[in-house]
Amino acid sequence: MSRRLLAALALALTAMPLLAAGFTPLDRAAARQLTEAGSYRQPTVVALWSADCSHCKKNLQLLAGLVKRNKQLRVITVAAEVAEAGHVPLLDRYALPGQRYAYGSDSPEAIAYAIDPSWAGELPRTFLFDGAGGKAKLSGVLDQPTIEKATGLRF
Amino acid sequence: MAKFVSISRLLASGLLLGLLAPGALAADGMPGMAKAAKQELGASAIFAPDGSLLVATKQGEHVMLYRSRDEGQSWSAPAAVNARPEAISADGENRPKLAFAADGGLLVSWTRPLGKPYSGAIRLARADDGQNFAAPLTVHKDPAEITHRFESLLTTPDNKVIVAWIDKRDLEAAKAGKSTYRGAAIYSAVSTDGGRSFQAERKLADHSCECCRITSALDHDGTPLFMWRHVYAPNERDHALARLATDGTPASVQRATFDRWKVDGCPHHGPSLVVDGAGVRHAVWFNQKDGEGRVFYGRLLPGAEIRVEGQRPVGGPRAAHADLATAGGKLAIVWKEFDGERTQLRGLVSGDGGQRFDELQLAATEGASDQPRVIRRQDKLYAFWRTEKEGFRVLVLP
Repeated sequence: MSRRLLAALALALTAMPLLAAGFTPLDRAAARQLTEAGSYRQPTVVALWSADCSHCKKNLQLLAGLVKRNKQLRVITVAAEVAEAGHVPLLDRYALPGQRYAYGSDSPEAIAYAIDPSWAGELPRTFLFDGAGGKAKLSGVLDQPTIEKATGLRF
Repeated sequence: MAKFVSISRLLASGLLLGLLAPGALAADGMPGMAKAAKQELGASAIFAPDGSLLVATKQGEHVMLYRSRDEGQSWSAPAAVNARPEAISADGENRPKLAFAADGGLLVSWTRPLGKPYSGAIRLARADDGQNFAAPLTVHKDPAEITHRFESLLTTPDNKVIVAWIDKRDLEAAKAGKSTYRGAAIYSAVSTDGGRSFQAERKLADHSCECCRITSALDHDGTPLFMWRHVYAPNERDHALARLATDGTPASVQRATFDRWKVDGCPHHGPSLVVDGAGVRHAVWFNQKDGEGRVFYGRLLPGAEIRVEGQRPVGGPRAAHADLATAGGKLAIVWKEFDGERTQLRGLVSGDGGQRFDELQLAATEGASDQPRVIRRQDKLYAFWRTEKEGFRVLVLP
């Protein structure tokens, strides 16, 4: 494929409307950056969820409360599947101010591997950054002290 | 730019469809061009008594049935199973399923998502002649718009059809009564007329995991077995194995794995079970054991408590979604494993009942793929794998 064609493809891709408004689609390169500790200069939580995951709702609820009380905390969500119209109300109810990502058209296994090679797809999966190079990753429902400690909000 | 537009127009208009393998997704024919769309590759394959290979997939609001008379070299144009369109689950742990009733009737089951999140109804359609399907029926009597999903379909030599699924009616009742309930439940329904009608469903067990596929097999004495991921108190996501009495009630429900993965989460990773000609139960499953997530193989020995014999990891740390079958004295396991660039289809074959295995490198794909299956034709085993780019792949196993 020629470089001009590639550039045209890239342009066409970015100009395409997203399937579900507000979700940025991830490819493997963007996914890798998302879970690199060096990407964050402030306490940040990257929370993976899916429409099917009832346990994920508990974490999103907890994070919604925490982010309201801690202005320096950033919460980024990642739907571990392609976002559809139904994803919008599922996430809107938590009113999380951070960026919303979802899987894009790249191979889902490549995206998952880029997010974390040691993650087997279980949800919720959460990445916690203290903004100073520290990173923790945890599966399942979390409690408040765990999140506060791993993000450096509490010592 | 002109070149790009013309290709995309061709793709959009379906003119290039004829160039794509059956089961491949037209919109994703060229890498990077497709706008993100939900991948619903869930497919099942079965050899019919006449030797033809049948595949069930989802296309829009229809379950589609493909036939091959040459073991997957060429395929018929697909035929719709459900004449009236309806929603169908075919992503991740979901797929339409195929079975033959003892009287020769072809059965297709699927989960129909309803309006509310997590809700679904278990549907089943029957074709007496293997071609012309009657309108699908809902297997359960419970009409509530709640979870009835992840069905498993099993037929017996006396023309029974047994369907088991994940059911949240007990969880919903607990919520309404302001009490708590661990996980979901497994319910099953029995048909004694080859799937034309079903008796009222019964509960097999409380406290199953919520969104992992269920597996089924006939035990050494012909007794129906169902195996699923369970939630043992307080939150250990090991597996349970149920033996059913002739009326469909659970004769026993036993813990079948002992890896003690404690997590309040959704593994999205269900087991597979098969019973070989000598009556030995072989299973593959995913669990986190001692902090490491792996696919495991083991033999589930019967007794007052099930003992797992020969438990061993299958593949590497990225192995996922294994399936297995036996035929002609062979036991075959297939799974997929992402290698950092591509998804590999790998296999293990044993000629001595699972004591020793030979490793197989079967195929690879660049894009998305369904979970692989092992299917059987008389004494031969095959891997069946649907990939986004290549479509249906049928591979003879040694």
